[in-house]
Amino acid sequence: MDLTLLNYPIFLGVLIALYALLTLGLNIQWGFAGLFNAGVAGFFAVGAYTSALLTAPPDPERILGLELPVAVGWLAATVMAALIAWPIGKVTLRFRADYLAIATIGIAEIIRLILRSEEALSGGVRGITQIPRPFGDLPYEAAQLAYLLLSWSLVGIIYWALERQVRAPWGRMMRAIRDNEAAAAAMGKDVEARRLEAFILGAAIMGLAGALYVHFMRAITPEAIDPMMVTFLVWIMLILGGSGNNRGALLGTALIWLIWSASELLTDRLPAEYATQAKYVRLFAVGLLLQIVLRWRPAGLLPERLYSIGQKG
Amino acid sequence: MKPRKRSLLLALAVAGFFTATPYARAQEARVALLSGITGPIAGMAPAMIASMKLALDQANAAGGLSYGKLLYQEFDDGCNPQIATDAMTKAVNVFKATAAVGPGCSGALLAAANSVSIPAGLLLISSSATSPKITTLDDKNLVYRTVPSDDYQGKVLARALLARGFKKVAVAYINNDYGKGLADAFKAEFEAKGGTITQFRGHEDKKPSYRADLAELAKGGADTLVLFDYANSSGLTILKQAIENNFFKNYVGADGMRDENLIKTLGADNLKTFLVSAPVGEAGEAYNRFAEAARKAGIDPNATFAATSYDAAFLVALALEAAKGDKSKLPQALRAVATAPGEPILPGEWDKAKKLLAAGKEIDYKGASGDLEFDAAGDVPGSFALFGVAGNTFKELQKMN
Amino acid sequence: MILDFINHYLIPGLISGAIYALGAIGITLIFAILRFAHFAHGDLATLGAYLVLAGVTATALSPWALLPFALFATALTAILLDHLFYRHLESRPKILTVMASLGVALMIRAIVHIIWGVDPQLYQTGVIPPSTYGGLLLRPREIATLLTALSLVVLLLLFLHHTRWGKAMRAMADNAELARICGIDIRAITRLTWAIAGALAAAAGFFLAINTELHPLMGWSALLAMFAAAILGGVGRVEGAIVGGLILGIIEELSVLILPSQYKMATAFLILILILLLRPQGIFRGKIL
Repeated sequence: MDLTLLNYPIFLGVLIALYALLTLGLNIQWGFAGLFNAGVAGFFAVGAYTSALLTAPPDPERILGLELPVAVGWLAATVMAALIAWPIGKVTLRFRADYLAIATIGIAEIIRLILRSEEALSGGVRGITQIPRPFGDLPYEAAQLAYLLLSWSLVGIIYWALERQVRAPWGRMMRAIRDNEAAAAAMGKDVEARRLEAFILGAAIMGLAGALYVHFMRAITPEAIDPMMVTFLVWIMLILGGSGNNRGALLGTALIWLIWSASELLTDRLPAEYATQAKYVRLFAVGLLLQIVLRWRPAGLLPERLYSIGQKG
Repeated sequence: MKPRKRSLLLALAVAGFFTATPYARAQEARVALLSGITGPIAGMAPAMIASMKLALDQANAAGGLSYGKLLYQEFDDGCNPQIATDAMTKAVNVFKATAAVGPGCSGALLAAANSVSIPAGLLLISSSATSPKITTLDDKNLVYRTVPSDDYQGKVLARALLARGFKKVAVAYINNDYGKGLADAFKAEFEAKGGTITQFRGHEDKKPSYRADLAELAKGGADTLVLFDYANSSGLTILKQAIENNFFKNYVGADGMRDENLIKTLGADNLKTFLVSAPVGEAGEAYNRFAEAARKAGIDPNATFAATSYDAAFLVALALEAAKGDKSKLPQALRAVATAPGEPILPGEWDKAKKLLAAGKEIDYKGASGDLEFDAAGDVPGSFALFGVAGNTFKELQKMN
Repeated sequence: MILDFINHYLIPGLISGAIYALGAIGITLIFAILRFAHFAHGDLATLGAYLVLAGVTATALSPWALLPFALFATALTAILLDHLFYRHLESRPKILTVMASLGVALMIRAIVHIIWGVDPQLYQTGVIPPSTYGGLLLRPREIATLLTALSLVVLLLLFLHHTRWGKAMRAMADNAELARICGIDIRAITRLTWAIAGALAAAAGFFLAINTELHPLMGWSALLAMFAAAILGGVGRVEGAIVGGLILGIIEELSVLILPSQYKMATAFLILILILLLRPQGIFRGKIL
C-alpha cells in the first residue's frame, strides 16, 4: 500500500488532537463546573496570537516577533490565555447559564474585531506568517508524523492530568458546586473561587490549542478564529460525545471532525452541481446528527460516569 | 445482520475505498481546483470554478496532454484556514494532485501552502488571493498567482484617478485582506502624487445600515467615494445607500465591484458616474477569445476572478505539458510557458501550444486577464483598465499604468 | 447640521433598531416563557425573508402583499421546530435545548443555501431616492418599516394585556409552575409563543431584506444584536425589547462618530456586557435567569 495514503489520516489525527484540546478545555468549564462558555474562539485566538508573536520573525508593521523557541511560545500561550480569562471570569462568572454564554460570545467577538483591526498588534487582516514549526525541517511525511506524535502527547498529558484532577477532591467539589451550588456553599466551599479556577484552567488549555494550531499552520489570519469553526463546532463535539466525561469529549471530537472532513471524500466525487450542494447537505447533517443524539442520547454518546462513589481518590 | 458480518463488510468498504483511490500514473495529470465554495466568497466561487474547468476541458477536448488526460477535482477551501488545509491535504494525499489551482482567499492560501502544499512539493497558482503577504512567502518556488497583488492595482488606480482630475476623494474599504490591501496601496500612492484623502475608513460586512459611515465619509467635502469592497457583499449595500442618499457625486471601485449583477440591481442610469478598475489582457484579443468560450459555456466572463481563474488553470495545463509529467520540473516549466521569450499563445490555443512544445519551441502564454509575466516571487504585475457603465455592461475607458 | 444628524444617524439607526426589536421580542418571550436562548432565531428571520422572495419569484406580487403569508408560514415553522426538536428536551437541562437550537440554525441555513444559493438577492431592483418631508429624508419603505413594526408591537401588547391568552402567557413567564397549577394549558401557550416569535422573526428578516438585501447569513449576523437588545430591555419585557432594539440600532450608527467603523459590531457587545454588569435586570426590570 502506498505510504502517502497515510498522510491524510495523519493530518486528520493532528486536527483531532487540536480540537480535542479545545473540547477537553471546554469540558472542564461546562462538563465539570457547569459554566456555559461560548467564547472558546476568544481564548483560542489569544493563545494562537501570543505564540505567533513570540516565535515569528519581526515585522516592521507590528510589535514583537521575537523568534523565541516554540516551547516558550506554547507556554506563554497557555499563560496568556489564563491571564486574559482571569478578569473575564471575574466579571462574567456571576452571570447565569445563558447570560454567561451571550457575554462570552460578545467578548470573543470583541477579541476577534481587535485582532482584525489593530495591525500593529496582530498584523490585522493580513495576519502573521513565517511562524516556525517544530520538526518543520524534516521531509513532509516525517514532519507530519512528528507533529502528530507531539500533539497527541500533549493531549495525553492533559487528559491524564485532567482525569487525575476530576477524581481528586477538587473534581468532586466542582461537581458538587455544579449540581447544587447552595449546598456546596453551605458546606463552606468557596463557590466563586472554584468556578473561576475551572474557567481559567479551561481557558489555558484552549490557549494551548491555539498555539498548537498556529505552529501547525505556520500562519494565522483572523479567519482562523471564526466562531463557527471554533466555538460552535467544539460545543457540538462536546455535547455529542458526552459532557462531564473526558473520554466522551475525545470521542465526540473525533466523530464530528471525521464526519466533517471525511464526508467530503465521498461528496467530492459527485458531479459538480451536486458537489457544491453537498457542502450544505453536510452542514445540515451535522445539525441533524446533533438533534438525533439530543433526542435519543441526551447525555451524549459516553455519558458522565459517577466518579465519586466507590472510587479511589 | 450479525455483528461480525457487519464489521467484515465495513472493513471491506474501507479497504475498497482506499484501494479505489486512484493512483497518479504517468498517463495522466491531476489538478486540484480549490475555491471558496462555501464561506464569504461563495458568491464568486461558481464562476471561478467553472472558468478553471473550462480551461482544462478545452485542453482535454483538443487532445489533452501528450502523455494522457488532465483529470481534475474541485475542493472547498471555505475561505478559511482550517478548511483549506484540510482540503489541500486531501488534494495532495487522497486525490494525488500533480498541481493545484487556488486556494481562493489569502488567509486560506497562507495556511494551506505553509503547512501542506509547500512541504509536499506541490505547485499552486491562485487566481484570487491578493494579499501582499503571499509575495514574501518562503515558497520554494511553488506558489504563483495570476491575480496581481493588491499593491499593483491600488497604485495604478490612484495614478489613473489623479490623471483624470480627481484630486480629493474619500476611501472606504471592507476590512479584510482584499479591501485593506487595496486601500493601503491606493492611499500611499494617491497622497504621494499630490492627491488628498479626506476620509479613510474600514467597515465590516453584513450590517443593515452604512448611512452613518457614509455621512462620516462625506464629511471632508470630497465628492468622490473610492470603495474597495465586493459587489455581492457590503459593497452593494454601501453603493446603494450612498446613491440613494446622494452622499457623493462620483463612485470608484476596484475589480471586486465589477459585476454586471450590480448594474442590473441598481440600474445603469444610477451608475453613470461609477468607475471600476479591473485587470485586462494586453491586446484585448486574448480576453475576447476567453469571453467567447466562457459565454458559450454559460459563464459570465466579467464575473470577478473568472478570467484569472481561467488563466491559472490553462497555465497549469501548459506547465504540465511542458514538464512532461515530472512534478519537480513544474515550477521551471510554468515560468517558461508563461513568460517571454516565446511564441505567443492565446486562451484556448491548446493544440498550437502542444505542437510548439513538442517541437522544442518556447511559448509565451498571453492570458485573458493580462500578460502574466511572473516575477521572482511568482507575482504578476497585471495590466489594468478603467471601466465605466454603458448599457448593461462595463465598457473600457482607458488603460492604466 | 441637526437635520444631517437626524437623516444620516438617527433615522437609519431607528430602522436597524426596529429590525433588531422585532427579533428581540421573540427572543425575550422565548427566554422568559421557555427559558432558553434561542440561537436559531436569526436563521428563522432569514427563512422568513426568503419565503417572501420565493413568493415574489412565483407570483410577481409586491413583497408587501406576501408579507402576511411569510409571517404565517414562519410561525408554523417555529411551532413545528418546537414540536420536532425542542419539546422533548423540556425536562432536561436547558443547555441541551440551546444546543438543539444551534443545530436547527445550521439546518435552516443549509436549506436556505441549497434552495436559494449564496448570492445576495433583492425583492425589487433599482434605486429609490428618498422624499423630503420638511428636510427629513425618508423613503416609503422606511416609513412602512417603522409603521408596520410599530403596529405589530401595539397589537402584541394589546394581546398580551387584554386577552385571556395573552394574560396566560404573561402568567407563564412569571411562574410556569404556578401557571400550570392554575390550569393554564402549557402546551397551548408554548405553541402560541412560538407562533408569535416566529412571525415576528419573519417580519425582522423581511424588513432587513427590504432595507438592504437577502443573504443566507443575514439573520445570523443580526442575532447577537437581537440578544443584546432583549437583555438590554429586560428579559420578558416586550416594551423593553423594543426600547432595547432602538437604542442599540441608534448607538451602532452613532458609534462611527468616535470609533473606526470596523468596531460598529463591537458596540452591541460592549453595551451588552455593560448592562449585564451594571443592571442585569435590564431597563424595564425584566427577569434574571
